[in-house]
Amino acid sequence: MDYFLQQLVNGITLGGVYALIALGYTMVYGIIQLINFAHGEFFAAGGYMGVIIISYLSAQGMSPVLCIALGLGLTMGYCALLAMAVEKVAYKPLRSSSRLSVLLSALGMSIFLQNGLMLTQGVYDKAYPTEMTAGGFHFGNVVVSYMQIYIVLITAALLICLNLLVFKTRIGKAMRATAQDKVMSALVGINSNKIISLTFAIGAGLAAAAGIMVGFYYGSVNYSMGFVPGIKAFAAAVLGGIGNITGAMVGGLIIGMVEIFAAGYLSSEYKDVFAFIILIAVLYFRPTGIMGENVDDTRV
Amino acid sequence: MIHEFKKRWVSFGIGLIWLFVILWPLLGIKPEGLEFGTTFALWGKLAVAALCIMIVYELNVRGVFDGAKKAGSAITGSTRKAYAAIPQWLLLLILLALALVFPSMTGRYGHDVACNVLIYVCLGLGLNIVVGLAGLLDLGYIAFYGVGAYTYALLSIHYQLSFWMSLPIAGCLAAIAGCIIGYPTLRMRGDYLAIVTLGFGEIVRLILNNWMELTNGPNGLSGIKRPGVYWLDMTNGWTLEHFWVKKVWMYYYVILFIAICTIIAVYRLNYSRIGRAWEAIREDETAAELMGVNTFLLKLLAYASGAVFAGFAGAFFASRMRFVSPESFTFLESAMVLAMVVLGGMGSIPGVILGALALIALPEVFREFDLYRMLVFGGVMTVMMLVRPKGLWPAKRVGRRSEEMD
Amino acid sequence: MKRILALILVLAMTLASASAFAETLKLGSMSPLTGPYAADGNDIANGVRTAIEVVKAEGGIPGFDDITLSAQDTACDPRQAVAAANKLINEEVAAVIGAYCSSATLPASETLDEEDIIMLTPGSTNEKVTERGLKNIFRTCGRDDDQSKAALRFMKEYLKAKTIYLVDDKTAYSQGLADNVEKGCPAAGIKVLGHEHVNQGDKDFSAVLTKVKAAKPDVFYVSLQNSATGALLIIQAKRMGIDAVYLAQDAVYHPQLIKIAKKDANGMFLTFGYVDPNTPSYKQFIKFYEPKYGKPGAYSTYAYDSAMAYMAAVKKAGSTDLDKVRAALLSMEFKGASKSFKYKENGDSGSNYIIRKIENGKYVDFWNAQTGKKY
Repeated sequence: MDYFLQQLVNGITLGGVYALIALGYTMVYGIIQLINFAHGEFFAAGGYMGVIIISYLSAQGMSPVLCIALGLGLTMGYCALLAMAVEKVAYKPLRSSSRLSVLLSALGMSIFLQNGLMLTQGVYDKAYPTEMTAGGFHFGNVVVSYMQIYIVLITAALLICLNLLVFKTRIGKAMRATAQDKVMSALVGINSNKIISLTFAIGAGLAAAAGIMVGFYYGSVNYSMGFVPGIKAFAAAVLGGIGNITGAMVGGLIIGMVEIFAAGYLSSEYKDVFAFIILIAVLYFRPTGIMGENVDDTRV
Repeated sequence: MIHEFKKRWVSFGIGLIWLFVILWPLLGIKPEGLEFGTTFALWGKLAVAALCIMIVYELNVRGVFDGAKKAGSAITGSTRKAYAAIPQWLLLLILLALALVFPSMTGRYGHDVACNVLIYVCLGLGLNIVVGLAGLLDLGYIAFYGVGAYTYALLSIHYQLSFWMSLPIAGCLAAIAGCIIGYPTLRMRGDYLAIVTLGFGEIVRLILNNWMELTNGPNGLSGIKRPGVYWLDMTNGWTLEHFWVKKVWMYYYVILFIAICTIIAVYRLNYSRIGRAWEAIREDETAAELMGVNTFLLKLLAYASGAVFAGFAGAFFASRMRFVSPESFTFLESAMVLAMVVLGGMGSIPGVILGALALIALPEVFREFDLYRMLVFGGVMTVMMLVRPKGLWPAKRVGRRSEEMD
Repeated sequence: MKRILALILVLAMTLASASAFAETLKLGSMSPLTGPYAADGNDIANGVRTAIEVVKAEGGIPGFDDITLSAQDTACDPRQAVAAANKLINEEVAAVIGAYCSSATLPASETLDEEDIIMLTPGSTNEKVTERGLKNIFRTCGRDDDQSKAALRFMKEYLKAKTIYLVDDKTAYSQGLADNVEKGCPAAGIKVLGHEHVNQGDKDFSAVLTKVKAAKPDVFYVSLQNSATGALLIIQAKRMGIDAVYLAQDAVYHPQLIKIAKKDANGMFLTFGYVDPNTPSYKQFIKFYEPKYGKPGAYSTYAYDSAMAYMAAVKKAGSTDLDKVRAALLSMEFKGASKSFKYKENGDSGSNYIIRKIENGKYVDFWNAQTGKKY
């Protein structure tokens, strides 16, 4: 029983991490139907920026809580700026071209950013000041660390905020309108370029938050760390129904759980195989994902 | 005019400030304190480079280069005329002759890069059927390449089957794999298709990496035989002599042969009934079905025939490396092949060849940049897409498209 | 006819290249400079660079004006490794130091063998590397089977372990080593409770670690390809509360292991090729290396020694011809920075694995696997 509970805790945490990255994926996809390959790189850049800012602030003698809060805010802002720049340079000129061209431009950007990070930050891993968030609860044999609780709480909080933003505010309304029809929304006075920019900024901000969480949880960041979680998060977003915010959360949790339980009860080397098989099976019976609405026939 | 000018330079200035804001935190914040020197040095270099480009652009807009341009266009016009005057078969013949004498012009390294380019030409043309013609986005294409490579490796090691015997078997197995992957994905469209094919690609790689008994896992398979070739030996009469392909230039001719076969096959497919049916599916699946196109069968066929060429390329890859391991079949490779197809121009055969040349030869050219190699490569990929979003050599399409009429 | 022509061409090329070498000695290095193993790969290139600087500072090699290095990236990928090997052949290098991943070394060494270029590998420990009868390959580091013997002896004699749980990350190297340890366990009276594999690129090991925790082994054997991954695994294992003895191998060894895992790394044991920091060669190495490249990693000294051994052999042989250099390499005894060694006929150099322990954020020599005594 202890074993099962511990694996459950592991699964929820990993699912939370995937969900946090998948939220950004799904937002960007929802608005311009682009699989943003560079999203994983925003995640990695966030991880780096977080450790840079937090270690600077704590060297100035700031208290850990303030360090983390300020670091989180500044990093999210930084990644938002980065994402807006990338969007302006690499995606905006291609808005009227075929979707595959944008996809490739995103792939190029992903390679560029990853290597840019490597050149400025070096090939070695950067250690996080994990002592700031060390510790946890012990329930019998089951260990729940503070960081695991933070990850789940922050993911849930961001999910609620996003849902409020998208469904209760004017900006959210504009976003939904732009996602449905760019031309029509422009006719009713929405500046769709601004809205798309903003969506990228929010998505990258979320990725940055995920980067810092992952840095604290696992203890280090690396320039190539964005790639594998990026793919998993993309799978999670699609599983939940791409473009749907709650769906990304559900998808992330499912992928995380499947991976952990497959590794814990079946075979750890085939855990990714199980995750992808679940994905394929779900999509076979529900071709638009668990919570996705019917998207219309979109051509490549 | 003045307004345009102002707008350009203002956005240029904003871009530079933006660049600084992005660069400085990465370079300048250290636990010991804030530092600006290194960032300014790097930023300065980038700014000067950008300024040069801007000035050239500005001069261009103001018409300084008009004279040169006129001369240039006259030259291109006359060459185009000359080009049009040459019959196509002659051009192809010249290209073929160039390809044949290529090994004598370069060294070993050149041969090696050429082999790689030709392998990716085969892969790109195969994927071109799936993505360019049938319009199905496939992010796991490299799995078929892996199936082909492992098929030849296993046949050669366990059954001593020769390369040329194994080649069709590798193609068949890859086609079967294509059908297996194709079947469950037929109901999906667009990006759902993309993630499922990506998933399949990863599954194949993980199986190759973990099925120790069959594939020897991460250790890979070594001891694969080279291909054998019969060579007309004229030194003592007309006799056929069998020898093993050993030097890189000999491998070059083998893969050149395979690549030419692939090009001819894809060309014939492209302009056949099947090819037209694929294009119909790409343009509008529902309409195609209404017109009596069997979309189910044709989509499967697209997957299978695309996979066959990957299987051939894979078998050759195994015979040349004489070693296969799962590390050669990662997602990044799939993305590269897709990049070739899109960069070259979807559905266009010469385009895909150009794309393969660009994406394989460029990183090798950039080896001089050392650590900056992949950075430059990623940047160039984006810039190429921005400059030519339809690809280097877009395919000629029949009729007008609805999206073009908007 | 064509073959004769090719033969003449090749002959002419080798003659031409031989005369070209009279001025500069060109060395090549192959290692993953980008990708997940970039840390070790850069250590290797830097080790070779240091060796060249040291030899130059000592007055160079008679007959050569200059020594240069062309460092190529393999990205740990067989295709890129062969491309890099061909590139180095084109640049007419005399010898290649590399590669790191066994899966890159195996195909690349065959390509280099066709052109009679010596390859000295500082990091590929897979047994197959030197067991293919190739004339051109030498190995300065130890072999997987040697390292597993040291680990087994330590567990049996010092730890008196009864049970073990193994984890590896499925590369030719890490899995090969873990398999060797597993095979030797019954003979050493150690019960194998489980052997799990994780995939490369994983960051989350909680599922596997929960399994390990439930099994309660005496020894937790960690065989990973990458020190940073090792650090992540140790952090998570400690957080999970696994209180076994942690034993790892030399790919996990790196200064960044302690930097990332911090106090979680304390008390951990690693099998590692013995490096005596008090020998004159090591002091000389560190004098040149540390100011420029920082603290050396696990493979810096091996790369340095490979390059030093090669250059010493060229000095002795007075030429870069494969057979002459090979004869010189086989005949000489080297007092290197990593160890004192002599190459054997198949190219291996033997090993001297010891057990190191991490105490208070530092690596210390702990137990000698040859003598079975504590330092």
